[in-house]
Amino acid sequence: MIKLPKLLRIFAMIVLFPISAEAKETYIPILVPITGFLSLEGTAQRNGAIQALDEASSSLKIKYEVSDTSTSPEIAVTALQRALSRGKPMAIAAPIFGTQMLAMLPIAKRAGVPLITVSGTAKLTELDNPFIFRFFPGDAVVKVAHARYVTEVLRAKRPALLYQTTAYGQSGYSHLSKALRKAGAPLVFEEALAPSVKDMLPALTKLRASKPDVILLHLHSTPTALVIRQARNSGIELPIVAGSAMHQPSTAKLLKNHQLRGVCAETAASPISENHPKLIQFTTEYKKRFQTLPDAFALAQYDGMNMVISALRSGAKTAMDIRNWLATNTFNGLAMKYKSDGKGNMGHDATIVCYDGTTKTPKITKKYLNVDGTFNR
Amino acid sequence: MSSLYSRDFIVTLIIVLIPLCLALNADSYGQRIMTLSGIYAIAAMGYHLIFGRLGALSLAQGCFFGLGAYSAGLIGVHFELSFLTCLLFAVIFTALVALIIALPVLRLESHYFALATLGIAQVALLIAINWTEVTGGANGTYGIPQLDLFGMELSSSNHVLLFVWVILVIIVSLTFWIMRAPFNYQVTLLKDTPEVAASSGIDIGRWRLTFFIMSAIFGATAGALQAYTIGVVSPATLEFQVMVSILAMTVIGGKNHPAGAVIGAILLTHLPEWFRFLETHYLIAYGVALLCTIIITPSGIFGLFEKFIIKNPAYDLKILPSKENKSVSDASSTLLEIQGLSKTYGGIKALKNLNMTLQSYQIVGLVGPNGSGKSTLINIISGLQRQDEGTIKLDASFIENTPSYKRSNRGIARTYQTSLRSSGLDVYQAILACSSNQHNLEHRDNQTHAILRNSRLTSKTGSMVSDLSAADARELDLCMALATEPKILLLDEPAAGLSSAEQQFLSTKIRQLAQSGISILIVDHSMDFLLPVVDRLICLDQGSVVAEGTPAEVLADPKALKLYFGNSRL
Amino acid sequence: MLDISLQLILNGISLGCAYALITLGFVLVINAIGAVNFAQGDFVMAGGFLTVILAEYVVADNFNPIGASGLIILPLVLIGMAFFGLLFSMIAYKPLKNRPPVTVFISTIAMGLIIQHSINAGFGPEPQIGPALISSGTITIGALTISKQQISIILSASFLILCVGFLMNKTQLGRKLRAASQDSEMAETIGINGPQCISITFSVAIALAGAAGLLLSNQFFVTTSDGGLYMLKAYIAVTLGGWGRLDGAVIAALAIGLFEVIMATLVSYVVAEALLFAALLLVLLFRPSGLFAEAIQKKT
Repeated sequence: MIKLPKLLRIFAMIVLFPISAEAKETYIPILVPITGFLSLEGTAQRNGAIQALDEASSSLKIKYEVSDTSTSPEIAVTALQRALSRGKPMAIAAPIFGTQMLAMLPIAKRAGVPLITVSGTAKLTELDNPFIFRFFPGDAVVKVAHARYVTEVLRAKRPALLYQTTAYGQSGYSHLSKALRKAGAPLVFEEALAPSVKDMLPALTKLRASKPDVILLHLHSTPTALVIRQARNSGIELPIVAGSAMHQPSTAKLLKNHQLRGVCAETAASPISENHPKLIQFTTEYKKRFQTLPDAFALAQYDGMNMVISALRSGAKTAMDIRNWLATNTFNGLAMKYKSDGKGNMGHDATIVCYDGTTKTPKITKKYLNVDGTFNR
Repeated sequence: MSSLYSRDFIVTLIIVLIPLCLALNADSYGQRIMTLSGIYAIAAMGYHLIFGRLGALSLAQGCFFGLGAYSAGLIGVHFELSFLTCLLFAVIFTALVALIIALPVLRLESHYFALATLGIAQVALLIAINWTEVTGGANGTYGIPQLDLFGMELSSSNHVLLFVWVILVIIVSLTFWIMRAPFNYQVTLLKDTPEVAASSGIDIGRWRLTFFIMSAIFGATAGALQAYTIGVVSPATLEFQVMVSILAMTVIGGKNHPAGAVIGAILLTHLPEWFRFLETHYLIAYGVALLCTIIITPSGIFGLFEKFIIKNPAYDLKILPSKENKSVSDASSTLLEIQGLSKTYGGIKALKNLNMTLQSYQIVGLVGPNGSGKSTLINIISGLQRQDEGTIKLDASFIENTPSYKRSNRGIARTYQTSLRSSGLDVYQAILACSSNQHNLEHRDNQTHAILRNSRLTSKTGSMVSDLSAADARELDLCMALATEPKILLLDEPAAGLSSAEQQFLSTKIRQLAQSGISILIVDHSMDFLLPVVDRLICLDQGSVVAEGTPAEVLADPKALKLYFGNSRL
Repeated sequence: MLDISLQLILNGISLGCAYALITLGFVLVINAIGAVNFAQGDFVMAGGFLTVILAEYVVADNFNPIGASGLIILPLVLIGMAFFGLLFSMIAYKPLKNRPPVTVFISTIAMGLIIQHSINAGFGPEPQIGPALISSGTITIGALTISKQQISIILSASFLILCVGFLMNKTQLGRKLRAASQDSEMAETIGINGPQCISITFSVAIALAGAAGLLLSNQFFVTTSDGGLYMLKAYIAVTLGGWGRLDGAVIAALAIGLFEVIMATLVSYVVAEALLFAALLLVLLFRPSGLFAEAIQKKT
């Protein structure tokens, strides 16, 4: 190796690779997509994490830093490397984007830092990686709840599904179709839509022809709103049970109240629908800080961060301590009770919320607790 | 001349090695950024070839990157093969894809070429997202093994960095090898003035294909490396954003020089990291940086450096022993025979059933009023335009369907009426570019020196072509035509804009050339220039020959007199 | 069956009309400066956001009957976007006037990035909905449910396109613009102010993009990442319709809208997209001058 003069080395550190952060405080990087097509969810993650960390700052010294992971795994890995080089993170708020998480997992394992995410992609907890903790129930929970609601409560026999050609959509599709088949009501129609599709009529036309008795959606925010609106406008009055994108307040904002009648959404939680005082406090505080309403992703990230803070308060001194605490303890978050199933899945409850057509705030219609039986163990 | 070339190479190597040395002393994050820079430098180097050198606006470079990532990644996940083997497969696969799409797409005009390549990239993205069984769909495929070399895993960021940059050095060397003199001059000529290149024997189609496939190979190599450094491959590698990044790197760094690709890659990979503190605003800063660079320095950052590097000094012309004239038969033979040539466009018959022959050792003048078909005739003979009917026989073979560059190889050379000027070459380089590829470099170098010594440009050998005066540019055109060792020389208004001394020089030169056996056809309006120098005169009107013969004969022909000279005496 | 087909055709036409507005602006810029405006789609998106901002103020006034706010906002958007078009030409084109067209390609890419991310920074990632032009209700004729917004889109897009056509073909200004596009040097010699004409062309082009954004913002909502796809559709339309031809571009854009909707119904969206590119590639291979002849001859 060529030995460079000290001066050049300092030059390299300053110009090329800016100096690292203070090592005394607890350092928690927040790596989420705040640009790109997942920026809505990523921003919710960011907000939820920041709210939790700020609330704890009165009693704990925490330094956090937000870095954009945008839309590619490459940028996410770079963000992670950067975070690791700027101090010793105790835990990292990680992106909701499944593919990015897959790329980040091996690095987090090597560095021994737990990743706190709200990504629902099933694969993440199937890789034997002890450093992932997902605070949003995975597809294995929510999609089962989704299917159960459709078959048990709505008693539908002929479901039709529109899903997104993204990681979120494809993963949800495979779990949902499996769960429906198991429940004895296999899909009579399915079509994959790219996020950029605007005119839903072609899909709805074909869907109609298959004579379904319920419409299931597993799409992102804008496409969900587009389908509901165009369905209602073309006279399709079938019940619609959508994915978690529907519960996001920004989705409902795009629709008129009457279009929402007969629409339900599957989600982990719906902070704006709850009457519990703590949740109302959370929502009010969130609205004050960020000028927008929180969704389940924000709440889940908030809960996840709070569990980390609990670990810190119980004396965790290193990232490994935090990891061990997360893996072994139960935590009463605002959305639900969290406990690891041994693989990093922390949330096991799902909620179905429904709109009654008079307001944009949905009501909690059904809660499915402990869907995968983790709390029995 | 060769020292300039190797100086270029050394400068580029320095530009490559300095950041590498800096990075080797940085932490793993810094090394990762530099590794990524190296990867994108490889992709940008490929883009430099097709876009910077050739001027073809390909929008497929991101696609090649993604194809390389997917093929190397998928093979690596499913089979137990070393990285270099996977890389080989990836490169071959992508090169094949490039070959298949090149054949129909390369001949398109620039804005169509851009769109076609963009369309292909979109299709690749569609396939990657929807062909779930093979590609893993939108989730992509994870679990790509780490980079390895001869069985050893490269796990430390130090080693990965070195590995990638060694490959970059190989790619840079490969680029310089492809672009060694005189090929780089030929490519510049091709980019700036494709017609001149074609009529100087340069096979445009072959260069385009070569560069397109090279760009695909480099792009695929970069993609394969990227997949292996992050362990997953996903449709994100095929998105348009990757193409935009590579394009921005090439342009900002400097598209005219390989070093530009490296500089651009390093800069643009670091910029988002420097701007990270801006959170959502950093992409705005990125856009602003791109905009400012493109406005202030269009040849990119390296273009700025180049202004300060002393450009080519005047070349010392070699004094060579005079060669024995090749034994040429003194008898004049028919070199070119045109029969029944017709051409119509836009409803106008430019040439009507024209017959003509050109003999060796002979100078023929072609005159006629505007629109009589003179330029069309020259364009058709040289292959720039295609006749509707008729045959052209050169020596013993018919060439009316032969492409322009092949006709040049067989001995037809021409100059142009409006000087088509290359902007990136100096006088010496322009002439060298036109010499035949069949000779070795030394022979071509000698040839170029000989031509220059016999020209009016002896003191301007190092001047940029675009800086020449109009008269000097005409002389250069002639020199370039002579470099192709023609048997037939077509001169389109060679005397226009020349002073009488310059015209004198030209006449003498033309006579000398004819004496060595070349058949010369001159189109000009100036009778003062033509009459003393030509052996025969052909008068064209509305696409047909109306008079033909020695100057004296033609001047006596009443038809010709009426058409051109009115009724006044000369 | 018939009503569904009619409905689909209506959807296709209305989508195609919006595409046509975007494409018209796109091809005007191509004619004027010989370069592709990569930011055209982002201007559509910006027009949508401008509409959303204005709607808050205009509607809040309670000045107009409920639902008519779109119509009031449209001229404001046209003027506002025309102004932005002027700025755009001064930043992204004027400094690069004497450089090869590909530099403008890049400067428009850069501008697109700046526009997209500035709006993202300002508004956040939430999708927004704009006001309907007249009303967002539906009319039922027999078994056909026509959304009033669709009719509005078709009518206003057609109106704007006809206006531009009239401007270009029948007015003195339009003749000047066309002359400056075809040969700016020649135009200068007969007293036409080339740079001014180009600025005006940009203004018109971006105003059209903004109008499209307004029309689309109610029907399809608007998100900051919408831009790229609109630009691509315009690029394809211009190629299919004959590079540089205004009429060809408009017709091709309409055709694309119809094609997308019909193909997606017959087969699927994925296949529709793939087929569109396949059709594009086929046209490029066998009839690269477009379905109508190319209007711009290569400039010597």
